[in-house]
Amino acid sequence: MNGFNLSRSIRTRQLLQVRRMRKITEFEPRIIAFTCNWCAYSAADIAGISRFHYPANVRNIKVMCTGMIDPGYILRAFERGADGVLVAGCEIGDCHYISGNIKAKERVERLKKLLHILGLEDERLRLEWIDAGDGRKFADTIENMAGKLKKLGPSPFKKEVKS
Amino acid sequence: MTLEDIIKETKTYYCLECGKCSSLCPISRHNPSYSPRLMLEKALTGFEGDLINDQELFSCLTCYNCSLKCPADVDYPLFMQKVRTLAFAQGRYGVPADSGILQSFMRLMLNPAIEQRRLEWLSDEYRISEKGNILFFVGCAPYFEFAFEDFEAGALNIAKDSLKILNTLGIEPMVLADEKCCGHDLLWTGDVESFRKLAEHNARIIKESGAKKIIFSCPEGYRTFKFDYPHYVDLDCELQHITEFLAENMGKGMLDFKEVKKKVTYQDPCRLGRHLGVYEQPRKLIEAIPGIELIEMEHTRDESICCGTSAWTNCDAYSKQIRTERLLEAKATGAEMLITACPKCQIHFRCAMVSKGEEKGPDVEMDVMDIVNLVASALEDNGSE
Amino acid sequence: MAEVRIGVYVCHCGTNIAGTVDVEEVARYAKQLPSVVIARDYMFMCSDPGQALIKSDIKEFSLNRVVVASCSPRMHEPTFQRACQDAGLNPYLYEQANIREQCSWVHEGDEATQKAKALVEAAIRRVSHHEPLEIKEIPVNPNTLIIGGGIAGIQAALDIADSEHRVYLVEREPSIGGHMSQFDKTFPTLDCAACILTPKMTAVGQHPYIDLFTYSEVEEVSGYIGDFKVKIRKKARYVDEERCTGCGVCQEKCPWKTDSEFDIGLGKRKAIYFPFPQAVPMVPVIDREHCAYFLKGTCRACERFCEAKAINFEQTDQILELEVGAIIVATGYDLMDPTPITQYGYGRFDNVITSLQFERVVDCVGPTGGKILLKDGTQPKSIAIIHCVGSRDQNYHTYCSRVCCEYALKFSHLIKEEIPDADVYQMYIDMRCFGKGYEEFYDRLSHEGVNFIRGKVAKVTDEAVTDEERGRLVVIVEDTLLPGVIRVPVDMVILCAAIEPRSDAEEVAKLLKINRSIEGFFMERHPKLEPVSTPTEGIFIVGCCQGPKDIPDSVAQALGGASKVLSLISRGKVSLLAATAKVDEMRCHGCGRCEEICEFHAPKVINKNGVMVSEINEALCQGCGLCAVTCPAEAISIRHFTQEEIKSMVDVLTES
Ligand SMILES: Cc1cc2nc3c(=O)[nH]c(=O)nc-3n(C[C@H](O)[C@H](O)[C@H](O)COP(=O)(O)OP(=O)(O)OC[C@H]3O[C@@H](n4cnc5c(N)ncnc54)[C@H](O)[C@@H]3O)c2cc1C
Ligand code: FES
Repeated sequence: MNGFNLSRSIRTRQLLQVRRMRKITEFEPRIIAFTCNWCAYSAADIAGISRFHYPANVRNIKVMCTGMIDPGYILRAFERGADGVLVAGCEIGDCHYISGNIKAKERVERLKKLLHILGLEDERLRLEWIDAGDGRKFADTIENMAGKLKKLGPSPFKKEVKS
Repeated sequence: MTLEDIIKETKTYYCLECGKCSSLCPISRHNPSYSPRLMLEKALTGFEGDLINDQELFSCLTCYNCSLKCPADVDYPLFMQKVRTLAFAQGRYGVPADSGILQSFMRLMLNPAIEQRRLEWLSDEYRISEKGNILFFVGCAPYFEFAFEDFEAGALNIAKDSLKILNTLGIEPMVLADEKCCGHDLLWTGDVESFRKLAEHNARIIKESGAKKIIFSCPEGYRTFKFDYPHYVDLDCELQHITEFLAENMGKGMLDFKEVKKKVTYQDPCRLGRHLGVYEQPRKLIEAIPGIELIEMEHTRDESICCGTSAWTNCDAYSKQIRTERLLEAKATGAEMLITACPKCQIHFRCAMVSKGEEKGPDVEMDVMDIVNLVASALEDNGSE
Repeated sequence: MAEVRIGVYVCHCGTNIAGTVDVEEVARYAKQLPSVVIARDYMFMCSDPGQALIKSDIKEFSLNRVVVASCSPRMHEPTFQRACQDAGLNPYLYEQANIREQCSWVHEGDEATQKAKALVEAAIRRVSHHEPLEIKEIPVNPNTLIIGGGIAGIQAALDIADSEHRVYLVEREPSIGGHMSQFDKTFPTLDCAACILTPKMTAVGQHPYIDLFTYSEVEEVSGYIGDFKVKIRKKARYVDEERCTGCGVCQEKCPWKTDSEFDIGLGKRKAIYFPFPQAVPMVPVIDREHCAYFLKGTCRACERFCEAKAINFEQTDQILELEVGAIIVATGYDLMDPTPITQYGYGRFDNVITSLQFERVVDCVGPTGGKILLKDGTQPKSIAIIHCVGSRDQNYHTYCSRVCCEYALKFSHLIKEEIPDADVYQMYIDMRCFGKGYEEFYDRLSHEGVNFIRGKVAKVTDEAVTDEERGRLVVIVEDTLLPGVIRVPVDMVILCAAIEPRSDAEEVAKLLKINRSIEGFFMERHPKLEPVSTPTEGIFIVGCCQGPKDIPDSVAQALGGASKVLSLISRGKVSLLAATAKVDEMRCHGCGRCEEICEFHAPKVINKNGVMVSEINEALCQGCGLCAVTCPAEAISIRHFTQEEIKSMVDVLTES
């Protein structure tokens, strides 16, 4: 019994140590999420109510509709060193303002073409439709995006990287 | 640089306060509250804060209409450029068109860590060389192509047709995959730091390429390389706008134009005309095409009217009014097509034609084409293929 | 601008936040940020003492901005906004940082505290840009316009008028009633359509609060919720409505006949006519196209026999101007003309008819007096009913018309009732019996000896290959349940043609500035939660003009529309959204991109002293921001969501 406990606490300590070390070395991507008030933002609330933990890398900015998101905001985030940007709105057909999300999709697609020329990895800008009740999807999306961005490494526009 | 240095450099202290600038200024014509003279006065009387915070600081088109005629030879556009540098340092940058996404791209571009994919449009149709003496500077056309997708600005076609024409002349120029924005817009926004980085990058890669001569289809790039780069980098290359280069080569009998039956008129872009003094070559080129009739607008050559926006530092109601005025002038010539020699002029004119409301303004609808596209279309079928 | 003075309040929410986030540290951090005058942490900010703290601080420290870091703004934003308002601060000078749902509940340790600080800082930066907004209210005119007098329009009119508010009911045809008046029986209960519809029609005709305009159309609509101005064209009937007693002598004496629209070409009517015997109003119409007097200048038989002296050949169209606060659209549907589906032979074979024509055939006051007869007057021995004609078909309409399965069942029952030994075939793809009592109806009909053949009919032909087929119609179909193509000889074919948007739906949509969905029906504000509202405030859509549906659903929508209107009227005013779009005329190009993109028709380019500028109708704007992003000149901004506000948040949040 004692032996078991001992080995377990050693393991925990080791684990903690590894985690602490990782914290220093491992890069933590920053995600800016523009979330629609009516769905994705509410999904993030539901994720909270359901205690679905997800990485703390994300910072939500609430907008009334994805149609309100100016491509300039997304570029501003990249300029300032965001590693990824998420645009999350209502399912097609569910937009509170009818076609805001359709227009947002067109804008994101056009911006992606431009970011492609610039040489930015496609995964750094992501568009998702997340239903108001779908806390699971919100948490999963962030988890998944953070994972991908970790693999990609820091954005080329990150302050520290700049010469 | 302080305001005092700027006043010295641009010879502002010579200002006679005669107001000629204001009466020549296309903005003042539409917006009587805008006056270049008053701007200078603010500087001379020491109201630096007022000047820097003036809403109109970013309105100036830097079109050189005023300076060319200034009895005291004050370089007002340069004055603007420098004062904007002071303003930018305090976080002011006007109200850039399209919420500044193009300026954002230009800034993002300067990052050394990125690898652009700006030449994906370059197909086998176009012949280019790895090494050589002549370099074709593509400019921001690949970005403009998508940024202005909704009204087909045709920026990339200018680059494509430029290559086609050069190929017809037997020239296979170099084009550089990691070319970056020339920095024109950022410089005129006052962001000199970013400008410097872009200039340094371009100068370095051009030197590495071994180019002796650079050909531009964009007058902004040409102007920037010619007048602004020398203050920041050292690059020893011959520079030419494509119209200059073609006009020079026309005599050699390699440009065999077919007939294009059209009445056209020509817009002198501010940078190519008043900044660089290239007025004759584009006209020579247009007139060399059989069947073309070139009709001049009321205001032409050094009196030509700007397309209404420069460096996208501002694009307000007056910009549109200037543009409308110019398009109406073009239409009044009876020409079927407006020829310009700057991709941005074309973007601005086409944008001005977008009219989606029920209530319409004056009819400004007209064909607009870059001179390069016109030349290329006159060469079609006669080309070497 | 006055100095910005911000108060920041970090809520513990018991241990909900404080258990994870170091709230004191967050408050300490906030305190030293620019413009922050006071920063506190407190156990429960939403409690009365919590709110009182904000109120007293506003006064004591002359705060002009407030930030609360607590739960989601979706939860308590209104609470804290009210607290601000109570203390004399405009509610739009408030901002909330969500450090519970989006922080303490989903993250741990240092990371959570770090994120909370960032969220609070972003809220502080944003709130500095906030401006006080005015909540405007406009009065609502208590009169209502209803367009279309089918069952949906009738129901809505009665419900609103019963509350003693004026209703103007505009119907294009000479009588109200719509499609329902053409039916004999209605599924699933098989009660007689006239028995349940006629009393409602009469009630409309007699209602003191309903002004009925039949043979009329809406020509112009302007204005917005609460205050619409409407122009109505009342077409000349050539009969004085005041004098006419509805005796019908004119119709009897008129010597001129033409095809009856009501009977869809199966019967005849006179040049002066009532569309059907129960018409409301009971006033006939002279059809100029077929009246001898209008064509040749002589006759006037009706005039001679009319004792009431009601005939007036000099009558002209009248234009009426009305003012209303809300509009209900109930223009219904058209039945698709199956002629283009040539393989079914509609128009080529006499005994191929549409479902609506069959309704007339079985109607006891219809052209055959309710007898099911072939064109030659004989009784059919076998009848095929073809489902999904033009519905659920990529070549015509992809949608399901929703009522055909049921009325087809109704038809087979009516046929069996009259001709018990007739062979009835239902040729269907799927039987969709979704409504209350519909499955039971199907079950009942299945026991009445009807043949159900699952297959989409390929062709109806008169080319006989056997003696049995000679002189009859042959329906070619694969019975997919007993594989094999079969040929079914029948005497009559009924096509269950699709329910289509009205042929003039596009014009009506333009007139009212409402939208249409892809299939052409009017579009609702939200497919689930706002089924009768439209993007244009104050305009509602009910019945089949919104999409195919049965009578129960049409009526339910009508009641929904009426309740929407009544709630508007009973409040008497509408509050306009404050966070709407705003145009900077010095920047506007008047290009109309905003006008084109807006689903709510709020921006409009106008000529202002010779300059084209966009103007936002605040009563229509929903503040979605689509126009602001579309504007290339940065001339439009959205109040409370300006570029500076969003960008200031982006700046903070990417960096901390
Ligand atoms: C063959 C057939 C059988 C059916 N049988 C049944 C059944 O048994 N039971 C059942 O529940 N449902 C049945 N339905 C469905 C039923 O017809 C509809 O649900 C119902 O009629 C819809 O009513 P409405 O008021 O929306 O439209 P409509 O009945 O089409 O009424 C619309 C009215 O608006 C008027 N109008 C149109 N445009 C204008 C304009 N621009 N200005 C002024 N007025 C205008 C029209 O003249 C009409 O009077 C059947 C449908 C069909 C095709
Ligand atoms: S309302 Fe959610 S995307 Fe438009």
